[in-house]
Amino acid sequence: MQRSSLLAESLAILGKEVASELRRRVALNAIGLFAVTTLVAVAYQIGPYGLAEQDRPFLLSALLWIILFFAATAGLARVFVKEEDAHTAKALRLAARPLAVLYGKLLFNLVLLLALEVIIVPLYCALMGFAVRSVAGLILVMAAGGAAFAVTSTFVAAIIARASGSNALFAILALPLLLPLLVAVIAGTRAAAGSMELAAVLPALRAIVSLGGVTMVTAVFLFPVVWRD
Amino acid sequence: MVLNARVLVVRFRDVSKRFGGQKVLAGVSGELRPGRVLVVAGPNGSGKSTLLNILAGLLRPSRGEVTYAEDERVLSAEEWFPNLGVAAPDMALYDELSALENLQLFARLRGVSGHDHASLLLELGLAAAHHHKALGAFSSGMKQRVKLAQAVLHRPPVLLLDEPSANLDEDGHQRVVRLVTRMRPATALVVATNDPREMAWGDATIELAG
Repeated sequence: MQRSSLLAESLAILGKEVASELRRRVALNAIGLFAVTTLVAVAYQIGPYGLAEQDRPFLLSALLWIILFFAATAGLARVFVKEEDAHTAKALRLAARPLAVLYGKLLFNLVLLLALEVIIVPLYCALMGFAVRSVAGLILVMAAGGAAFAVTSTFVAAIIARASGSNALFAILALPLLLPLLVAVIAGTRAAAGSMELAAVLPALRAIVSLGGVTMVTAVFLFPVVWRD
Repeated sequence: MVLNARVLVVRFRDVSKRFGGQKVLAGVSGELRPGRVLVVAGPNGSGKSTLLNILAGLLRPSRGEVTYAEDERVLSAEEWFPNLGVAAPDMALYDELSALENLQLFARLRGVSGHDHASLLLELGLAAAHHHKALGAFSSGMKQRVKLAQAVLHRPPVLLLDEPSANLDEDGHQRVVRLVTRMRPATALVVATNDPREMAWGDATIELAG
């Protein structure tokens, strides 16, 4: 009898995460509530005409990612803590390979983040009058940024899962990793807003992919140790 | 890769475990072989569950060693885990999934296909009417039956059962007896228990002092 492939195990865990979330909606509610509330509050206060024209590209880019960042953090941080709290981690440790657990939960966080972006970004652009010159560039930044956020959040969530005070610890550990990423995605979004050329977003894209890539490689090596010990 | 149970041996030698300043296990030794049942008995807090967690590879001993071997080839944890089945009180399955969905998940994770999970649940006394209900709606006894099914669905060569009849009625206990009897010839079984009925299953017993 052969063991499942790593891909099959990862997809099984992704399927479990999606099924569980659709039934419980803990992360969905947290993310949705935060994103919609902040978006409405910002749109109401600032709206399409509340900023000086020269300030709009940077401030609107920054505001967009602040909304996405904090909304994502509200939902992504508990992806491992919930297994420990529910005492399901032991069964998962015995049945699945560590990397399958990492990839499955990372894919789930990625799906959550991308779904958030698909809903919030068009709404934001409409409510805030955020005109983006390079839609392709924005999509690339959103996709790469979302992936990098998912990788970083998942990895930090795994580290803090068995610690007491995990919510506070997540913020402390994630901040130095997510801050450079936040700067890069804001820069990329601003570049996409200001130029039709795809090349304008490339410097930021390189930074995003580099940061996400380094974190991913670190996670692949460290996660099995963190998960099993 | 799941190994031929006839040649799979677990040896543990002088295993001790401390949690901070408290010694929970002191110098426990033994061997697991297919076809034999090792009973681990002792009062509450004597380290029965701790020993099972160490044998499962989920906990490192403070002293001593545990080796898993096929013939004389020592196996790594990644080679060992697929051969293990565990049911324990501190282990839960997914409340938001149904009994069948839980077994299907663990079957996919373990690369098991073509098995009749519904029949396994029936064998353990979970009526068909409950198979598609979320585990969160189950009683503790019903959850225990699903937990046992999860532990054996991949026919593991080594089965670690921590209080297997806990929360079960007499019918449930008898079903566990039949399950143990069925699996015994090809499986190395460890049962941690205070139940005299379960203690009678053992070919060998380790008494922990506590």
